[in-house]
Amino acid sequence: MKAKQDHVWTFVPHQHQGVAEQRGEDDHIHSPKLHNGAFKSRGLATFMGAPYCPPDRDAIRQMGAKVCFLACPWDQGQIVRAGTSQGASGLREATTQYFPYMFEYDVDILTFFKVVDCGDIPNIPGNNAKSHDLIDQYVTECLEGGAKVIMCGGDHSLPIPGTRALSRHTKSGNIGYLHVDAHLDAGPDWAGNKITNCSGPARAIELPNCSARNMAHMGSRNSLNPKDWWDFYVDNDIRVIAMSEVVERGIESCAEDIFNIVWKGTDAVYFSWDTDSIDISCMPGSTSPECYGLKGREAIELARVAGIYGCDVLEVVELAPYFDVSFMSIKMAANMIYHYLGSRARTLIDQGKTA
Amino acid sequence: MNPAKSYAHLFSPLGGDAGDNYRAPNVLTFLRSSYVALNADALKESGARYAFLGVPFDEGNIGKPGSEEGAREFRLASQEYFSYWFEYNIDLYGASVDCGDVSMPKVNPEIARERIYRAVREVLKAGLVPILVGGDRSLSIAATKALSDHIGLKKKMGYLHFGAHLDLADSWAGEKNLAPCALARITELPNLAAENVSHIGARNSMNPKDWIDLARERKIHFNPMRQMLKDGVHETAQGAIDRVWDNTDAQYVSFNFNVMDASAAPGVTSTEPGGLESREMMRIAEMIGQKKSITVIDVSELCPVFDVSGTAARLAVCVVTRVMAALAKARGEEIDASIRRSDLMAG
Repeated sequence: MKAKQDHVWTFVPHQHQGVAEQRGEDDHIHSPKLHNGAFKSRGLATFMGAPYCPPDRDAIRQMGAKVCFLACPWDQGQIVRAGTSQGASGLREATTQYFPYMFEYDVDILTFFKVVDCGDIPNIPGNNAKSHDLIDQYVTECLEGGAKVIMCGGDHSLPIPGTRALSRHTKSGNIGYLHVDAHLDAGPDWAGNKITNCSGPARAIELPNCSARNMAHMGSRNSLNPKDWWDFYVDNDIRVIAMSEVVERGIESCAEDIFNIVWKGTDAVYFSWDTDSIDISCMPGSTSPECYGLKGREAIELARVAGIYGCDVLEVVELAPYFDVSFMSIKMAANMIYHYLGSRARTLIDQGKTA
Repeated sequence: MNPAKSYAHLFSPLGGDAGDNYRAPNVLTFLRSSYVALNADALKESGARYAFLGVPFDEGNIGKPGSEEGAREFRLASQEYFSYWFEYNIDLYGASVDCGDVSMPKVNPEIARERIYRAVREVLKAGLVPILVGGDRSLSIAATKALSDHIGLKKKMGYLHFGAHLDLADSWAGEKNLAPCALARITELPNLAAENVSHIGARNSMNPKDWIDLARERKIHFNPMRQMLKDGVHETAQGAIDRVWDNTDAQYVSFNFNVMDASAAPGVTSTEPGGLESREMMRIAEMIGQKKSITVIDVSELCPVFDVSGTAARLAVCVVTRVMAALAKARGEEIDASIRRSDLMAG
């Protein structure tokens, strides 16, 4: 993965370079002038219309990218219905219907973070372990390139290689791990397999610099939660904010609680956000959707609070456009990320910092 | 309910040659429970509290067809779940058996209703709680009659009705036993007093005037959705539930999930906007369970052909099983929390 040319971050989608040329550095945040521009003319669909950057630490540094988008079309690490391999493509499609300017935060998230799309992580069908190694490698390149990572799955086995990469990258310090999901996902194994989508937190705690006191779970409900998953949190004394508590206390203070836990004395945070944490009525396009979840407005509020605290890897998983209706799930997923980035950018600007 | 004291079902599959993946359930039954023939002795023998009955009957429907597939989809959705509930520390393993579907004659609703009636009587005779999954709402007419006859005139029953519609047509196009006549027939049962009837979720204009008139005439207590939102959903629901359990010997709970907002349950025959959210329904299910007793549960009008990503079917399963789990918890049937996966116990 060596960079073959000099990369300088510029935002010029190909629709702006053809015979009906339209150039202007602010074009992407305004209504189109000559033609529809990059709005719904997806061309080469990238996340947020961001420029492509090879998943290579030098290229990322050269481009000055502070946020790398990684798509992970891997869905053979999971025990439920298939379909998440199409998740990131659906997400990219959804981003063609949005502007990178967010009025709620008065910020252009695309140029603020110099977002790049590093493409899809390749995988090896039938081989979960080797596919995980590739995910580890890609996340590592982005982190070493000085960027934060937005990763879209793919199934919920992603945090296993993802946290491995973040843990290694943060060798001198500790990391926090946050899991927001309808399911507790803390199986020691599933039928003997230790690296499925049921074991993210159980593997994270085994990392040398991730301890139980910096782990948290939010959104759990209903009975696709066998007892060994629950026992993991009880036995390791890890804070679980079940959905009933979110309903009772409100999303804002619950979200603050979990971020305070994962950031206490840590240098990096991995935020693993399962789309099924959101209610099935707002997120049908998920592999294991559940009723009694977060409403759309609460998910956006969680993204906003997350942006105040920040994280090093934000991973959105189990998005399955096959089961979607009227694009509501892929647009919800896009908004989980956009509101996170918008809030993050606003927080940094208010603190007088750059990305 | 678990005399063998085996606990493998509480945990993720252990693997090995005998290990099953939960996506390969083999036989399709409610909550992977055992199939037991519809026979009072066999049911008694099973030691279960609940008996599942599929009722693939939709010849009482006046609108969109499709509820015939409801029970099958309900069973399918139930396979996504475990018997263990971390929220209550309750294990529903062995709590239910599946008696299969009530066989339906087709194009002979009289005989169909008779079979539903007999099936419910048989389960009640064994002392189990029937869980009927339809099928259209008219199944409640036959099933409530079975409960009424089972307890006899000296005892009192209560009836709790969830739905967007009042279903109080004295007759519809001259017919007396269709789905929209359900509550009209049920409130004629001799041992069901109006003070022990509650209706939750009425809204919108598929509620013709004669239904409202009959409700007034019979003093049927109903809680329109607007009223619930104004007075508080949980408070109103608690009052409605309390009436049904107040001094009654048997309680019948009947769900049509069009009580939910259309977004929370698109897979029902007659969706309505402006209904309950799933978190409100989960709390209500818990309140029902907290009453510690229930005699019959039915679910009607599920319509998988309109469902989206299993939304309504999964909700229906979660509501029914949450009632079961909360009821077990209220009865102090929590399992030993210290049980751990055997392969993880330190030697």
